[in-house]
Amino acid sequence: MLRYLRLYAAFVRFSFSKAMVFRLDFSFRIVMDLIYYAVNLAFYGVITSHSEQLAGWDSGQVRIFVSGYLLLDAIAMTLFSTNLWMFSKAVNTGELDYHLVRPVSSLFFLSLREFAANSFVNLLMAAGIMAWAIGSYSESFSAGRVILYLALILNGTLLYYVLQMLTAVPVFWTQSGMGLQGLFHQMARLMERPDGVFRGWSRKIVTIFVPFALMASFPARVLFSAEVDYGLLLHLAAVTAAFWGILLFVWARGLRAYSSASS
Amino acid sequence: MIHVEHLSKSFRVFQKDPGFRGSLRSLFKRKWIEKHALKDLNLHVGPGEIVGLVGANGAGKTTAVKMLAGIIHPTSGTANVLGHTPWQRKNAFRREIALLMGQKAQLWWDLPAGDCFELLRDIYSLPEAEFRKTLGSLTAMLGVEGQLRTQIRRLSLGERMKMEIIAALLHQPKVVFLDEPTIGLDLTAQRAVRKFLLEYRASHRPAMILTSHYMEDIEQLCERIVILREGEKVFDGPLADIQRAHSVRKVVIARLGEPAAGSEAAWERFELPAAWASAVRRTAEEVRYSVDRGRVAEAASRMLQGMPVADLSIEEEDISNLIEALLHRRPQ
Repeated sequence: MLRYLRLYAAFVRFSFSKAMVFRLDFSFRIVMDLIYYAVNLAFYGVITSHSEQLAGWDSGQVRIFVSGYLLLDAIAMTLFSTNLWMFSKAVNTGELDYHLVRPVSSLFFLSLREFAANSFVNLLMAAGIMAWAIGSYSESFSAGRVILYLALILNGTLLYYVLQMLTAVPVFWTQSGMGLQGLFHQMARLMERPDGVFRGWSRKIVTIFVPFALMASFPARVLFSAEVDYGLLLHLAAVTAAFWGILLFVWARGLRAYSSASS
Repeated sequence: MIHVEHLSKSFRVFQKDPGFRGSLRSLFKRKWIEKHALKDLNLHVGPGEIVGLVGANGAGKTTAVKMLAGIIHPTSGTANVLGHTPWQRKNAFRREIALLMGQKAQLWWDLPAGDCFELLRDIYSLPEAEFRKTLGSLTAMLGVEGQLRTQIRRLSLGERMKMEIIAALLHQPKVVFLDEPTIGLDLTAQRAVRKFLLEYRASHRPAMILTSHYMEDIEQLCERIVILREGEKVFDGPLADIQRAHSVRKVVIARLGEPAAGSEAAWERFELPAAWASAVRRTAEEVRYSVDRGRVAEAASRMLQGMPVADLSIEEEDISNLIEALLHRRPQ
């Protein structure tokens, strides 16, 4: 574990060195994410200015929910999204070969080797937006509840990673990952809706089969409820563990099917 | 160090008829063919041995190397490299091997090689002192001490390949797979890489498997070669054995002196019988004949009598011609 932490620290140092080489690109990505944050906050700001409640949440709660998925998105962008975008190219061009001969977990190496140093600035901004959303809420939360909320957002990030990776790994068999990854990005928008808007079968889908509602919406629900809902926590843990297990299984099968590329 | 038994690999390859109609048809009904990249390979390589894998494009050389490095799974057969099954990819195995592919870069394009080596130090958990010592020794051997702070993209191809070699050997592997390590390099750089590999072999005694299309690599680095043809091994042995087993001819070379007065026209018409000899080269200074082994003495005698020979020598046939002939001979 300690070795992997040390290695991750090396990845971060290395990625910062790389990012600094391209100064202009470094600043463009910051601007790009700033626009994304502003659009999302404004979108829900407009809705809540015309309606007192949205799926059972008032404007302050909606702001916290939005800050939750913005933080999740920033963590994903900083830690692993760049790696997952490059994954299908690595499989098709045979770049994966060198990763597979390194004495490190291949899943760890491929998912985390590129730390998006320019997104790190956005991560700080997203954390600031969350601090502002929680701080400006009409009621105060206990420190324990806020820590639990942050832990659940991290769990949501893990789930987001697992789902994104599950749509990337089939490239071992399909050779083209564009369609599935496009589907993932469309479906990921479900994360940006309060789970209260989903009813009946659609609720089952977003809470069990493609559990985007578990990423930011359920954590917000845990934060707002008067008592901790242990059933909800158990559901979160069970779904995350199940998807993690599926990913490990599919990953092992994918590596078996890997045929590299001719030289 | 490397033991391979009956190793085979087949790929399922999608076949599409040309044109739009073919694309449309393939959308609903796919045609697949089974391509046998490697068939029943048996191979043993010991410490300090450099074995050359030789074959035409698509003969299965790179497939064999990738299976032994643990990158791809075989369809059947077994392999044992340093006591490990490569495709189980245990960390203990991966710490002891190195892979260098001349056509694929492992170093990060935008950063100086020094930074890339630092990351590899972390990946292989190399102790600082040991890392510095190995790096110093490798850079000195390859003469690139002054290039460690230059961005990889700014290095010449030869310098880049030297950096790739250092990256592959920093952790001092016991088994090294070299897939076309000199491809694209100029003659000076090729020579430098070959010299380095021989020095490294002498000092570290790793088992090495080398693939190359350059016969000079094979001749100068490998005592033993394995020839693959359409995925099948057709020869495995010392280079000299190829000559013994497959060379049916020798080359007789006559360097010509000044002809006696009035004899020019006579010797210029000199020919050996086409049934057992053929002229390889014929200039005013030198005549070379490729001759059946059993007729060498007769050819030499006739050449001495029929031409103004100043010096006569007999050589084995060029090894690359023999390998070339083996590569293109149809399987029986």
